[in-house]
Parts: sequence; structure tokens; C-alpha cells
Amino acid sequence: MFQQLSPEQLLASHLQLDASLRPAQSKVFWESLAAVTAIGGAEAAWPWARQAVNRHLDYSSLMRLRRFLVASQDGNSSSTPHRIAILGGPTTIQLRQLIEAFLMAEGLPIEIYEGEYGLFRQEILTPGSELDRFGPQIVFLATSARDVARLPEINADEDAVAQMAAEELAAWQHLWQTAKSSWNATVLQNNFEIPFGCVLGHYTLRHAAARENYLERLNRLMAERAPRHVVLHDLRGLAAEVGAGQWFDPRFYYEFKMPCGAESMVTYAHSVASLMRAVFGRSRKVAVLDLDNTLWGGQVGDAGAGGIHLGQGSGEGESYLAFQRYLKDLQQRGIVLAVCSKNDEQTARGPFEQREDMVLKLSDFACFVANYENKADNLRTIAERLHLKLDSFVFVDDNPAERAVVRRCLPEVAVPDMPADPAGYIDAVARHRYFETASLTQEDAARARYYSADSQRQDLAAKAANVDAFLKSLDMRMAVGPVDELNLERAAQLLNKSNQFNLTTRRYTAAQVREMANSPEWRTLTFRLRDSLGDNGLISVILLRREQNALAIDAWVMSCRVLLRGVEQFARNELVALAREEGCDHILGTHIPTPKNAMVKDHYAKMQFAAAGRDGETTHWALDLREEVPSLSHYIRHESLLCEAVHG
Amino acid sequence: MNLFYARLSMDDVRERLQSVFREVFNDFSLVLRDEMTAEDIDGWDSLAHINLIIAVERALGIKFATAEISRTKEPDQNIGSFVRLVAGKAS
Repeated sequence: MFQQLSPEQLLASHLQLDASLRPAQSKVFWESLAAVTAIGGAEAAWPWARQAVNRHLDYSSLMRLRRFLVASQDGNSSSTPHRIAILGGPTTIQLRQLIEAFLMAEGLPIEIYEGEYGLFRQEILTPGSELDRFGPQIVFLATSARDVARLPEINADEDAVAQMAAEELAAWQHLWQTAKSSWNATVLQNNFEIPFGCVLGHYTLRHAAARENYLERLNRLMAERAPRHVVLHDLRGLAAEVGAGQWFDPRFYYEFKMPCGAESMVTYAHSVASLMRAVFGRSRKVAVLDLDNTLWGGQVGDAGAGGIHLGQGSGEGESYLAFQRYLKDLQQRGIVLAVCSKNDEQTARGPFEQREDMVLKLSDFACFVANYENKADNLRTIAERLHLKLDSFVFVDDNPAERAVVRRCLPEVAVPDMPADPAGYIDAVARHRYFETASLTQEDAARARYYSADSQRQDLAAKAANVDAFLKSLDMRMAVGPVDELNLERAAQLLNKSNQFNLTTRRYTAAQVREMANSPEWRTLTFRLRDSLGDNGLISVILLRREQNALAIDAWVMSCRVLLRGVEQFARNELVALAREEGCDHILGTHIPTPKNAMVKDHYAKMQFAAAGRDGETTHWALDLREEVPSLSHYIRHESLLCEAVHG
Repeated sequence: MNLFYARLSMDDVRERLQSVFREVFNDFSLVLRDEMTAEDIDGWDSLAHINLIIAVERALGIKFATAEISRTKEPDQNIGSFVRLVAGKAS
């Protein structure tokens, strides 16, 4: 007799499978989901439905899931939704619905305004339009090559074409500028796909007025001239990836004005949603890698460092090398790499230490875990060690059983299906667009290095006989200053992605933060920490509002990488100094609890603020400066401007 | 080349269409009868029609011509004519 499985168990068993093995419109899945809903309500079913959303799904299955997600989403979500406007040249309804599915699956609260078909110019440019009343934070211009207003005649000369392209660009710039000045919005702008079927054939490349050549020129112009608040979405690249002939389905365009075929639409929506995630600072940041048959062929425990398949001489060996090179490139642009392998540590390190031809070196990993424990537990350990949340993790393992256990125990970790053939590894990871970015700050590029240095710091912590001695030994120096153009991106990123050390969880776009930095009613503080092990970068931001005789703390966030280092004590002392300078007699603080910020529930008490009332869960705090306020102790020195110059 | 491939019977087609209709219109008690028209099915608006066409094409591995896509919803058409159209394409 088989024991009857509960609907939850059935769902878990279904969702732990590789997406490619889950049947579309699976009866078991939908029946179990219905059963869970019947017993526990929509709330109980929501996480399962959310987990089922995947870029491998076909259009119809994804639409069905989306319908379920929309119908069962809880309306009393605590965080304020991001307001997104989607404005199309072509029809946007299906695109909007699919983007919605992907963003809901990521747990991003959103409110979408969808423009009228083909009216994007009027809606942006007309004050008081419905769009204007909506006041978007993100404007996605879901336009296509058919929305180019100026196209040259086939016999136009080079100068006329250049002139026309400049005018066309100016028209788009005007839209971008208006979106910024009206709503301070970030703009997501499609570039132009190159339609299939050119009349000049290969000669297109030599003729400026050829439509395809002209569109390429516009794409180049956009990429070069788009200002910082415009994030380009490479529709041209996407259509090329799918294949120009497959991307566009003329039947659906002529009949319904759909910008592309149904299955391409899934790819399109996933790509846009991934980029939006990046704009919200919610891209993935960590790749945790298995070793045997993931970074090299064979088992190092059996074959030894010399016997594994890697490198020149065999196609398979070269595949692994290419995958390592891909990961190394990710690491160099700021993605944190870690190892999680079932081996003993000495053996696992062997190939890195003994082989010249390994592209990845031990120093590329922020964390190296090799043991025989459950990989889900190991991932938890790695997350703790790196002070990064599991929902920023991607787990790469050739073994379907390891993938299943991680999917089942840690649904917030992204686990891509991996093919049997390592030649497909890069594609298997890359197609998920886990690591999209809307900008590349220097902090991003150097982040992986910080994390490597961080692991060393923790080893030190374990060895330090007492914490004070450890903190002293770090020789910490802090540079304090307002938000400026140089640190704006990083400050906004920190405000948007910090969940744990975040007193109010108020999210602001870079544009809003810039406005505060320039406003006489606001004060902004940023903190950048260096120590003997390296530069931690900008790790804390405080936003303050002037209120009569008080400075009110609107937002206070800190990177969890620098917990227990005295940074908040240092910052509190800075706040007191600033408030006195401003002639204030109070500093006011607010704590708005969320499911993720329990860490800071006693923060203001620790900072010696006095309780000053509450609204429901929200607590208010005040620090009276008319009395003597003792400094909080820490081991951080001020880094003077002079030092900054010396350190370069 | 297999010359003896079996065409789906009308009943097979109707049954497969019915499960597609149930998924698209989110109604698991929906039973298709030949005389039904778009009017008789709750929620069969132009948007649902697009999703229906996409789902039918995928589920039965067929492709409608541009003219056929809109014809299905016209007043003189019904489920019977839709089943015949699909059966003519599906093999």
C-alpha cells in the first residue's frame, strides 16, 4: 500500500523536478493547487503557484498561472507597490500580463498602468493625461521598429539619412526627458528589432538609407546618447537570439497587432521583467557551484586532480573550460562565486592547487564548502557566512538530485536545469538572465573581491580572543559625506536592496535620492568603510528630513556585511554632530517592522533614543539633544579628506 | 515516410479542444457541443480568443491561416465548424 500523499507533498514533488520535465498544464499540479486552495485558501496556494512560474513555460501555461496568481494575490501586502507604466507602439496586453506574472513570482509588489494602443507619445506629452495622474516610477516604452516616425527614402544620401536619424533621436530624447521632468521616472526603452526581409540583401550594409541599416544607426545613437535615467532593453538582441524568422509572427501582428509570436512573447516578457528586477536592485548576486561534472568532467575523488576532464585535447574538456571562463567573467563584473561540493576539502581543492589550466582560482571564490552534508544546509551556511540572502543565490549543479533537494528545501534559491552535455552549460545559466544589471558601478565590479576579503575577516573573527581586540586589529576608517553624483547609484542600490538592516524599508529611485540630496529640506549621509583587509565600499545610507527643531530619520540602511563592526554606533555619533550643527534639539527615528527587518527592532533603544509613541506596529523614537548625549563607543576612525587623497 | 498516419477522428478533436477550452476559459465543467457559438461561452472576448487560438495551435500542433483566425468568431460559425476546421489540419 502506498501512503496517500497530501496535495502539498504532490506540489513539492512536482516543483522540485527540472522545469523541462514538468508536463505543461500538468493535471496533478493543477488539481493539487485547487486542493490546497480549498483547504487553506488562496494564501496557502500562492507560494506554490509563484514557484511554478518559469521562463521555460509555454505561453498558455504561463497565462493560466498568471490568472491564478492575480486571483489569489493578497491585497494587504505591507510594502508599497512599484508603479510601472507600459506604453506600447504595438499591443501590450499580453506582454503586460506576462511581465506581471514574472514580477509577481519574484515577490515584487507592482501596480501597472497600461497605455492605449499606439498613443505613447500623446500620453507622455499631455499634462493631466491618465498616465500623468498615475505618476509612474518606471516608464517602459514597449516600442518596436514600426514606431520609428522618420524613415528615409531608399535613394536618400548619407547626409539626409544622418540628419533624419538625429531628428528621430531628438524626438525620443524629448519623451525621455518629459518622463523625467514630469514624474522623475526611470525609463526602460526598447531599441529596434531589425525586421526580416530586406530589399537590398547584403548590400544593405553599404547603403545608409536601407531600412535595416538606418535602424542599426538609430540603435547605436540611442546606446550612445541615452542619459543615465534611461535603461535600454535590447529588443534587437532578443529578436536575434530567438531568430528573426521565428520572433515575429505576421499573422498575430496583422490580426491583433501583437509585436511578436506567442512563445517569443514569453521570452520578451521574461527579459523585460529581469531588467526591471535589476532596476529595483533585485537581481541575483551569487552563483554557488558544484565541482565534479560541473566545473570539470569526472570525479576528482576517483580520478585525482590529474585525471579529471578539463581543457584542451577533448571537446568535452574544452566545454568545461569555457564554462569556467563564463563564470570568471561573471565574477569580474561583480557576481560572487562560491563552491558547494560533496568531497573532502583537501581533494576538492586539489585541481585548483595542482592544475595550471584551471581558469577559476581558489581566490575567485568568496566561500569554499566541501563536505558530505546536505547541500541545502550548506547553502544556508554560505548565505550566513557571506551575509547575503538566499534569494540572491543561483545554485548550479549537474546532479538532478542535488537540484531537487535545493528546490524543495530552499525555494527562494534559483536552480536552473542543467543539460547532460556540458557544452550547454553556459546557455542553461545565461538564458535565465539572473544577473541583469541596469548600471555598472565600480562597487559592483569590486564586490566579489570584498566578499573574498570578508571571508578572511570572519576567519579572523573566529580566532580573535575577544571581539574588541578583533575590531581594533581591523584598523577601520570611515569616510562620511552626503549623497553626490559619484555615490548616487550605489546609495540608491543600497536603499533598494537592504531588507534586514533597514528601519523603514522605504524604497527610492536614484532620481528621488538625487532630488533629496539637492533639496534644502533634506540631509543625506553616506558611509564608506575601509579596513586592513580592503575597501568595503559604501555600506550605509541615512536620509533625514528637516522638521522645525528636529532632524527626522526617514531611512537608515546598512549592508549586513558590516554587522557588529560598530558602524551604526559611529553613524549615531555622526547624526548627533550633524543635528547640533543644524541647530536642532531633537533627532526623531521611526521603526516600521517588516517580516525581514526583525534585526533592527531594538535599534533605536540601542542607539539610546527614548520611546516616543507608536502607530500600530510602527514605533517612534526621539533623542533629546538639549541634554548631554554620551558618545557610543566603537573602533572606527574618521578618514579625513587628506587620507582619502593619499589612499588614492 | 509513413503513408498510414491516422487522422484524428472528429470526436478525438472535439475532446482535445474541450480540454483546451476548459484551460483557457478556466471552466472545468465546460462541455463543447457543435451548435454552441462564441456567444454561449462565458468570457470569449477578443482577448480570450487570441489565447484560445494560441493554445489550440500548440495543443494540436497546427497552424491557422490569418483569415481562419478571425473567422472562427464570426456569427455564422460555431463549435461544429471550428472542430471541422481543426480536424482538417490535425493529423
